[in-house]
Amino acid sequence: MSTTAIRPESILRDLQKQWEDLASQEIHSPTESAGVLRACAMTLVVACRTPEEALDARQVAGQVMRVHPSRAIIVHPGSGDFDARVFAECWKPFGRRQQICSEGIEIIAGQGGFAEVARFLVPLRVPDLPVVLWCRGSSVSETGGFHHLYPLADKIIFDTHDVSDSDAALRSLRRLHAYGMRVADLHWTRLSGWREVLAHLFDSNINAKEIRSARITYGGDSVTTCARYFEAWIRSSLPQARVALEPEYASRGIYSVTFDTPKGDVTIQHVGEHTLSVTGRGLEYRTGLPSINEAALMQEELSILGADGVYERVLNA
Amino acid sequence: MATANPFSDPLRFERRVPECAIVIFGANGDLTKRKLLPALYRLAHDRRLPESFAIVGNSRTAMTDEAFRERMCDSVKQFSEDTEFDPALWDRFSRNIHYVAGDMNDPALYTALAAKAEATGQKNMLFYLSTQPSYYGTVVDGLGQAGLNRCEGGWRRIIVEKPFGHDLSSAHALNQHLQQVFPERETYRIDHYLGKETVQNIFGFRFGNGIFEPLWNRRYISQIQITAAESIGVEGRGAYYQEAGALRDMIQNHLLQVMATIAMEPSAVFESDAVRDERAKLLRSIRIMKPEDVPRYSVAGQYKGFREEEGVNPQAQTDTYAAATFYVDNWRWAGVPFFIRSGKKLPKRVTDIAIQFKAAPLALFGEGSGEPNTRPNLLILRIQPEEGISLRFLSKEPGEGMRLRPVSMDFNYGTSFGERSPSAYETLLMDAMQGDATLYTRQDMVEASWKVIQPILEDWGNRKFTFPNYEPGSWGPAEADAMLGRLGLKWRNS
Repeated sequence: MSTTAIRPESILRDLQKQWEDLASQEIHSPTESAGVLRACAMTLVVACRTPEEALDARQVAGQVMRVHPSRAIIVHPGSGDFDARVFAECWKPFGRRQQICSEGIEIIAGQGGFAEVARFLVPLRVPDLPVVLWCRGSSVSETGGFHHLYPLADKIIFDTHDVSDSDAALRSLRRLHAYGMRVADLHWTRLSGWREVLAHLFDSNINAKEIRSARITYGGDSVTTCARYFEAWIRSSLPQARVALEPEYASRGIYSVTFDTPKGDVTIQHVGEHTLSVTGRGLEYRTGLPSINEAALMQEELSILGADGVYERVLNA
Repeated sequence: MATANPFSDPLRFERRVPECAIVIFGANGDLTKRKLLPALYRLAHDRRLPESFAIVGNSRTAMTDEAFRERMCDSVKQFSEDTEFDPALWDRFSRNIHYVAGDMNDPALYTALAAKAEATGQKNMLFYLSTQPSYYGTVVDGLGQAGLNRCEGGWRRIIVEKPFGHDLSSAHALNQHLQQVFPERETYRIDHYLGKETVQNIFGFRFGNGIFEPLWNRRYISQIQITAAESIGVEGRGAYYQEAGALRDMIQNHLLQVMATIAMEPSAVFESDAVRDERAKLLRSIRIMKPEDVPRYSVAGQYKGFREEEGVNPQAQTDTYAAATFYVDNWRWAGVPFFIRSGKKLPKRVTDIAIQFKAAPLALFGEGSGEPNTRPNLLILRIQPEEGISLRFLSKEPGEGMRLRPVSMDFNYGTSFGERSPSAYETLLMDAMQGDATLYTRQDMVEASWKVIQPILEDWGNRKFTFPNYEPGSWGPAEADAMLGRLGLKWRNS
């Protein structure tokens, strides 16, 4: 598509043409056709810093769209003018003949940058469905122009995995939240497996009111947002307990948590890449953590489009 | 009372089954093979089951634990429709599958089960009666006498499969029998229709949206049709089916529960007893037919060829098709007919609910076109297959003039949510193990629905029908069309 002539209506026409082509291919398929179903439950805007990152993001978005069918709009900067192209992500659910497709648009932001892109993203959103903005690679506090897209979104997803200053990143997230934006952080999402194992202990084995103190240890050179979140989560869940966060000689991330109770300590500890051990008070077992990739994290976040009370409590704790 | 867990995060954490064991009576039967084991395996696949979760199977056939595991492995491979078999997962899952052979009439069986249960280390236990209904009382008594119905510091629950009796008095007797051993709150009567995602979505659709509920009443709705059609016949179940029939097998339980879900008042909270109170109230509001009204408001049918099926009496008076017109005597539904039908060997397999709205009060368009110029809007809730919701309305045809044509606006479950839907048995087993009875039927609901059906059963039991009265592949007997025809209406046969 010509760059200077980029118009939302011509992109939408290209999308329509793409659907006609897909349907036509299916009709002329040599095997028995079961049709193409168009699936869409939201607009997912993925903002990337480089074309390489966008290529990677498109693959992740492709996996995510199978669980959360969406119109994916992948935006990244380019050296030339604006450009846009459409694509489709199709799959056949296990055991079914019918092909399901979701649509996508890749937009190369020209010299006008993301501010210019924000203008023509407005008509490209699927009307009346939620818009989620995934700021891929953004450090939150240094947005690289992504902030122009914030007002379009019902939810903004960041990933603070690589940030060096966790306090600054959390401050930025709190600020956005205070402005009324619904924010999420994939580095919080990474903790779900860990948190679920911990929460499960309190379903039946331990009464939360018994806990006198909790000691959390983390690996790595500096305190990550992940450690901050974990500490805030425990502190806000056990207001009566003293909670300490301490470094440990271990790989980056949460290493262990020990709860002090009148009947003895209970410890959950990392004992392998995907394994936690639970010991103390007569308990002794190991449990697996699900392997996490970016697509799985996004799938979890996209399934929460309303308020996420626990995360908001932790962010502001 | 348990303290709330401050670490819970229901938006992110999967619901998990607490430490428990499930004991399945009739573990060598079809239901276990086709539904229960695949559902439990899928829960394990989704990491919903604790490591120590145990399954104890029972039937009369002598078998070792290992042989039983092999059979169950074959079942999981064959009947897990949308889950690929994972040998490593099966290896872990099957370690806690056990088997106890024994006759349900023999008290020694329950002693052996108690010993096996003890060995699993589980205090919490769910008993699943997947046996012939005639054994329900025997098993319940056996469990009670062995003291397996209660446990200090744990729970004991029982799941009972339909049919819950074969008429009102037997249902009442069964309920009384069950309650002598298990309290009502620990008794889970399973109706797998209520576990289907699309039936659960009726709640979401009605009470989660603002636009439909104001129209959901006699002022705007003219009639409701509930259809459960099967294209197949009795498929080797002739002997069982000739004792049951479509009225007992489908309408008394599944379809009246669906009707109750469609027509109930909103509950104050979405909690087990609040929801079930409203369903029960609706069932109690269904007008009970007077004996003289039964021939007018109900139709029995039998497809040609049923009497030649294996195990079927050549003179059988079994209804392989049943249809009825019900009215709900409350302010919301007074005067609105609910037409319910179910049958075998009909043109296609479909279960849906069609809610027909009243037509526009004035016909502005279509004069002289020869087409009806108003048509009622139709809302169709498709339960199976192609689960979803469609709304039919009129739209202007492109071109000159104002010619209107019905069009359909469709929502398809599979395409709006890429995620796989859990099977009804996954949902219901999970609920029972977590103590949530919302989707299970309660004693008063069962008895209320039998009360609705009882006059029809009595009338049909005293008549000699001229069967067969419909061709396989047709939409049932002509009398069913006449039942609606007397009201100037037609079945929706698309």
